[in-house]
Amino acid sequence: MLNTFQQRAHAMLPAATHDESSRQEFAKSLKQFVQEALLPGLQPVFARRAAAKFADEHGRAPADRREIRSAMLSDPYFQTYASTNRVSQELMWASVTDSIDRELPQLIDRAKSLSAAATANLKIPEKFAVPRYVSALDIHCMPGGYTTEVAPGDVSVAALYDRGAYLYCIGYCGPNNDDFGVSVCNYVKRNLKGFKPQRILDLGCTVGHSTLPYKERFPDAEVWGIDVGAPLVRYAHARAAALGAEVHFAQMNAEATEFESGSFDLIVSHILLHETSAKAMPRIMHECHRLLAPGGYMIHADLPPFDRMDAFTQFILDNETWYNNEPFWGAMRDMDQIQLCVDAGFARDNIYFSTAPMAILEAAAHSAAGYTDAAAQAVADREFAAGEFAPGGGWEVLVAQKSLNGHE
Amino acid sequence: MTSGSDAKPRVVRHAKGKRPKFSQVAGVDELMSMVLVLASELCVLRDRVDAMERVGARNGIDFAAEIERLPLDQAALEAREARRQDLFQRLYYLARKEAEELEAVDTAERYKAVIDEIAKP
Repeated sequence: MLNTFQQRAHAMLPAATHDESSRQEFAKSLKQFVQEALLPGLQPVFARRAAAKFADEHGRAPADRREIRSAMLSDPYFQTYASTNRVSQELMWASVTDSIDRELPQLIDRAKSLSAAATANLKIPEKFAVPRYVSALDIHCMPGGYTTEVAPGDVSVAALYDRGAYLYCIGYCGPNNDDFGVSVCNYVKRNLKGFKPQRILDLGCTVGHSTLPYKERFPDAEVWGIDVGAPLVRYAHARAAALGAEVHFAQMNAEATEFESGSFDLIVSHILLHETSAKAMPRIMHECHRLLAPGGYMIHADLPPFDRMDAFTQFILDNETWYNNEPFWGAMRDMDQIQLCVDAGFARDNIYFSTAPMAILEAAAHSAAGYTDAAAQAVADREFAAGEFAPGGGWEVLVAQKSLNGHE
Repeated sequence: MTSGSDAKPRVVRHAKGKRPKFSQVAGVDELMSMVLVLASELCVLRDRVDAMERVGARNGIDFAAEIERLPLDQAALEAREARRQDLFQRLYYLARKEAEELEAVDTAERYKAVIDEIAKP
């Protein structure tokens, strides 16, 4: 099934020339190819070649993901796979950077005028301490990371993230790149019967991809998105205005926000936790518990722990740690996330992992460009292979409810 | 960052963090990136040719015959040379990143230290 998925245009998205569009499509197509055609080869390469070589040298099979990695590092097929994957990531960002570099002053002006006309809040403090886990490396090799500003009112890294993340997801997250948010919204509506959140907080919202679905599906609720990147929330606010959504944004750290205790009844995050740190994660869980009203829910859509998969799958997923500037990717999966929630004050009986089914079929139903019924169905139905973007079926979600009396 | 107050702001081109090595053979990683950049530019070009043929066909123009008869004037020569130089910039992006890393003294040791530091409870 050919992947012809196309991102939906909006006023903040940088416009690409014909050549730039072609480079972007190339990067997306290369990612599709790596997943479909190179990734599956790692299993036989390991089983027939690398594991055998390891056994010859050690007299036993590799015992865990670290030994599998050591066995695979010198294998030429693995090197071709891993280096191609890395280059696809570099070319993906580069393909978008050209458009932004050309249009930057106009993009900044557009963000300013869209935000000025919006009724929703945008809060960016004068001074803000960016946490080290965001500033030490440019996460997922995105040049500039989440916080770099090359001009006053800069939004360049946010524009880069908006377009680049869509290409990274090879369109699987829908034309608005909002599948995480839509899927969690659907999960809330279908599984938490009778729960109607009035105030919703999205942690680590980046450009608001996953934040806006909450306002669409819970239109009476007050929805906030926070992030440590000033360019991100600035862009998110303008993008929301361009898309006609009244969603509030603020530059805040999810470890310690400025909101009042008990002031939210739904707190969510989407692919945030693995970009934090072992010190930050417990603080974020504590902050969620503090911010939730009694009976409120916290839902984090992120990476399932390593103990829920075999060693070979762990090895493949951990490649992100080593090759994609994701320093917490592997370590986060080793943490006991249930225990973190318990330590934060949630009752153990009220904490569980679940699956939020992907919503890509909804994109096809809305006739978005490239999202044919057949192509969307193929993504929704496929068997998950470790290392592919997006599991077949759905996203892993960690759900915890604060008890009704507020105490555990 | 801009070099002067009037200079147009330029976006960041390289991601901070030491690039890993894949092949033990020196130069192979660079070659891999160059081959893929070339493949990308080939696709870009093929898409543009495809677009031209489609635009031409919509307007009743036979591009194949016209292209064979096209003379290259000074402006055309300059445009083509500028495009080739731009291609080399893309092709050698890794060599340029390596030079930047050396200048900033960004190392694999620092990368590993960040992983350890951030995993520390």
